[in-house]
Amino acid sequence: MFLTYIKQSFVIATVVVFSACGNSNKPAADEKNPAAAAAAPDSSVSAQKQTILFFGNSLTAGYGLDDPSTQAFPALIQDKIDSLKLPYKTVNAGLSGETSADGKNRIGWILKQKVDVFVLELGANDGLRGIPVKETIKNLQAIIDTVKLRSPAAKLVILGMQVPPNMGKDYTTQFKAIFPQLAAKNNMALVPFLLDGVGGIPALNQRDGIHPTAEGDKIVAANIWKVLQRVLQP
Amino acid sequence: MSPGWLFKMALRDSRKNRSRLLLFISSVIFGIAALVAIYSFGYDLQKNINDQAAELIGADLAISSGNPIDKKLQPLIDSLGDRKSMQQSFASMALFPKSNGTRLVNVRALQGAFPYYGSLETTPVQAASTFRTGQQALVDATLMLQFNAVVGDSIKIGDISFKIAGVLNKAPGQTGISSSVAPVVYIPLQYMPQTGLAKTGSRIEYSYFYKYDKPVDMTALVKSIGPRLEKDDIRYETVAMRKENTGRFFGDLTRFLSLVGFIALLLGCVGVASAMQVYIKEKISSIAIMRCLGVTGTKAFLIYLIQIICIGFVGSVIGAFAGSFIQTVLPLVMKDFLPFEIKTTISWLAIGQGIALGIIISILFALLPLLSIRKISPLFTLRMSYEQVNTAKDPLRWLVYLLIIAFIAGFTFLQLQSIAGSLFFTLGLLAAFFVLTVVAWLLMWFVRLLVRNSWSYIARQGFANLYRPNNQTIILIVSIGLSTAFICTLFFVQDILTKQLIISGSANQSNMILFDIQTSQEKALAGVTRQYGLPVIQQVPIITVHIDEINGKTKAEAEKDTTFRPRRWIYNSELRVTYRDSLTSSEKITRGKWIGRAGPPGALVPVSLDERFAQGNNIQIGDTIVFNVQGTDVATRVASFRSVEWNRVQTNFRCVFPAGVLEDAPQFHVLLTRVPSKELSVKYQQAVVRQFPNVSIIDLALVLAILDELLSKIGYVIHFMAAFSIITGLVVLIASVRISKYQRIQESVLLRTLGATRRQILAITSLEYFFLGSLSALTGIVIAVIGSWLLAKYSFHLPYVVNAIPAVITFVAIAVLTVVIGLLNSNGILNKPPLEVLRKDV
Repeated sequence: MFLTYIKQSFVIATVVVFSACGNSNKPAADEKNPAAAAAAPDSSVSAQKQTILFFGNSLTAGYGLDDPSTQAFPALIQDKIDSLKLPYKTVNAGLSGETSADGKNRIGWILKQKVDVFVLELGANDGLRGIPVKETIKNLQAIIDTVKLRSPAAKLVILGMQVPPNMGKDYTTQFKAIFPQLAAKNNMALVPFLLDGVGGIPALNQRDGIHPTAEGDKIVAANIWKVLQRVLQP
Repeated sequence: MSPGWLFKMALRDSRKNRSRLLLFISSVIFGIAALVAIYSFGYDLQKNINDQAAELIGADLAISSGNPIDKKLQPLIDSLGDRKSMQQSFASMALFPKSNGTRLVNVRALQGAFPYYGSLETTPVQAASTFRTGQQALVDATLMLQFNAVVGDSIKIGDISFKIAGVLNKAPGQTGISSSVAPVVYIPLQYMPQTGLAKTGSRIEYSYFYKYDKPVDMTALVKSIGPRLEKDDIRYETVAMRKENTGRFFGDLTRFLSLVGFIALLLGCVGVASAMQVYIKEKISSIAIMRCLGVTGTKAFLIYLIQIICIGFVGSVIGAFAGSFIQTVLPLVMKDFLPFEIKTTISWLAIGQGIALGIIISILFALLPLLSIRKISPLFTLRMSYEQVNTAKDPLRWLVYLLIIAFIAGFTFLQLQSIAGSLFFTLGLLAAFFVLTVVAWLLMWFVRLLVRNSWSYIARQGFANLYRPNNQTIILIVSIGLSTAFICTLFFVQDILTKQLIISGSANQSNMILFDIQTSQEKALAGVTRQYGLPVIQQVPIITVHIDEINGKTKAEAEKDTTFRPRRWIYNSELRVTYRDSLTSSEKITRGKWIGRAGPPGALVPVSLDERFAQGNNIQIGDTIVFNVQGTDVATRVASFRSVEWNRVQTNFRCVFPAGVLEDAPQFHVLLTRVPSKELSVKYQQAVVRQFPNVSIIDLALVLAILDELLSKIGYVIHFMAAFSIITGLVVLIASVRISKYQRIQESVLLRTLGATRRQILAITSLEYFFLGSLSALTGIVIAVIGSWLLAKYSFHLPYVVNAIPAVITFVAIAVLTVVIGLLNSNGILNKPPLEVLRKDV
């Protein structure tokens, strides 16, 4: 929370707008410091394992969860990977409130570390703010281009999002099309809808109606795993 | 002798000089009229402000939920209120078919007569009610301008089009920033199904607004239904809750009005008490004669008590109605100058209070001199009060003092509802009284030492009047001094309060917030802002970080360590921080030292935390915190705590980094500006959206407009009440100085008979009144400065600055006024031959 106004209600409203000020994770379960890992890529652990970088907003960060470092979907995917004894470690680079434009700006900083699998989860905040679809496409493409440039070998995954139906049919349709379009163009694996089976179900969402609960995140992780496992074990 | 005889005597005694009696009554009248008028204005204005505050919500009770209300709760929801409205609000992309433009809007689908307080202000006016009946919409003014739409055009929301019935200029019950991100469009709720926007997954806010036609104890109501609503994540708000959250202004206003009430009471006291003091003093010779004729001390006491009660009653009744008359007529007279309509209602409560207080004050303050009546011996007839009656030893006198103090304390308690508050007010008053009395004694003592025989007769006589028997030094210094102190205190306090309102008022506030600005856009956007002639009020970078270690302990380690002081949940929170090399004007370092630049690389970075955040998390100065700045660890040391002024539209941070550390970290920027008009707002927003499509804009103009109106009203009320009380204070002051008229007449006439010229008498009188006036005004102002400082610090918790100019003006005005009234008092004697005066008046 950074913006205040004399009305408390305004402050609360602002928090929602900015999707800020909540519990957030420390990146990934056992990974306290991704940049440190990047700075020391030869350390024993990271030398053996490949890095899956989840680059996204509050959904990735696990906004509002009691303990994002174990409950957000990147951590759940890590659990899955560990149970299958696959040589991957996940890094949670989610940042609450991030739009595609913010992400475009941040990607350089994040790519200081080695990336083997890049999972892109951005756009939802653009949609909630009614930012023109072509603007979101442009920014996401710029992020993908940067990843391709800096880590040419990285496998790419994009997580599809939808905006709630109250935004109107035209916009929701156009918005939904962003992700298959980018996936096809950039040869990325596509999770058709990240919140499939979670979005719109009150019991699986937090009070704000946007962010999944810990239970909801399990379904989200399963949605991702369906696609991600084919990327990790071709 | 029967009580009838006592009454007869009381009446007979008053007959002697009715015009003199009238003067005393008039002083009572002025005191009570001031009190009643101030009280009734206070009630009126408080009610006006409360009605205005209700516009912040638009209803008595509002409840809202992010989900449809559960069926089980529906009976409860339906049972509330005498009238109710329903609203579903949500964000949606609206299409203006004519210009083929789309934009995110905040749709409010409304059913019912909401708002119950205030109105939807629309052009044309009737659109606010007519749109509810058809497939019509009210569209925010900026939105209309943005798409060049006119009334009669259509707007498409979801699957259907609505005819634009009117332009929405102002709406009560704005629920905050969430609705300000997007401009508002009202549609009737009955068309909601046809829009096709309410589907699974839709994010809709369901609200209910209630109006109670009869007064209901909302606090109790909320207490009873609150827990049930909270269980279902339903939010609720009453006007009182909103007022509390709106800031300190309502509290300040209430405190100010009780201060005014307290001062009104004291003005009443000054008016009545000074009349009574002088009145009884003058009666001493008559009483002595009555004693010679066999009237016992007690009977004499009763005769004058009856007289005083009658005078007090008549004066209070006339005063109370005069006060009400002023209260009713003044707003009509001032209609053209008032920024808003004051609804005046005759307050019987205020009238009743006025009469009761008038009688009580009359009796209490008359008792002091009356007590001495019992001790007046027949010998006084001969000695003619050259010796003052010594009553200090009378134990009953102390009882009366005690009663007076108890009365003031009790009454203050009724006003303030706080024991500590009334205690301090009463003590303050006692202190002021004591100081003024001491000053009067000192003046007399000093003048007595000072006067030399070598001085001219006029100077000697003028000074001697201050300490010789039959002097009026103490009573005038106390009454003038207290009046001055009240007037000045009111002036100082209203000055402090209105300054605060101006700071918070929107004239100096940003009303538009742009966020998500990327670093590459920062300069260009500021350029565009200035190009439109708009100020860049604030532009700050924002970086998201979280905490990895505190004092060398990670979350896991902290959880195992039972002696770990900081709260552990702090590890879970994502912090938005900024960096800069200086503090903003709204920040103050409360502990530690602000360091604006980071030291050499590797050194701990000195950061500053928001005081409340630090205290809430048990963090102390000197703690080390390792922040994870999106992957990079930055080791810091808590160097200072800041307190932040919250009542402004601005960015505030829990943690501020010094310059030189975070410049390269991923960040976005926020820009605050102030846009003066809707037209400019639209042009500017269009330019921003065109060049920087990712930037989001929050337009607070509509929200601030309502708040602003409220603040200016509160400011006006404070000004008005202060000015009115100051004027009444002056009137009471004049009346109490006027009381001294007869004190000097006898002497002046004697002097005239002995051959004193008109000029000599004028000079003597001027000298006396000038000393009394200037000294008491000065003391009063000093008391006011101390008093208002105490009020500012302990009651209003505001910074205090003495404004010297009004203090000087008050000093001069009161000193001059006292001399003028003093001279007017002797005017009658000076213009007539001595003999005529002797026969008629003495």
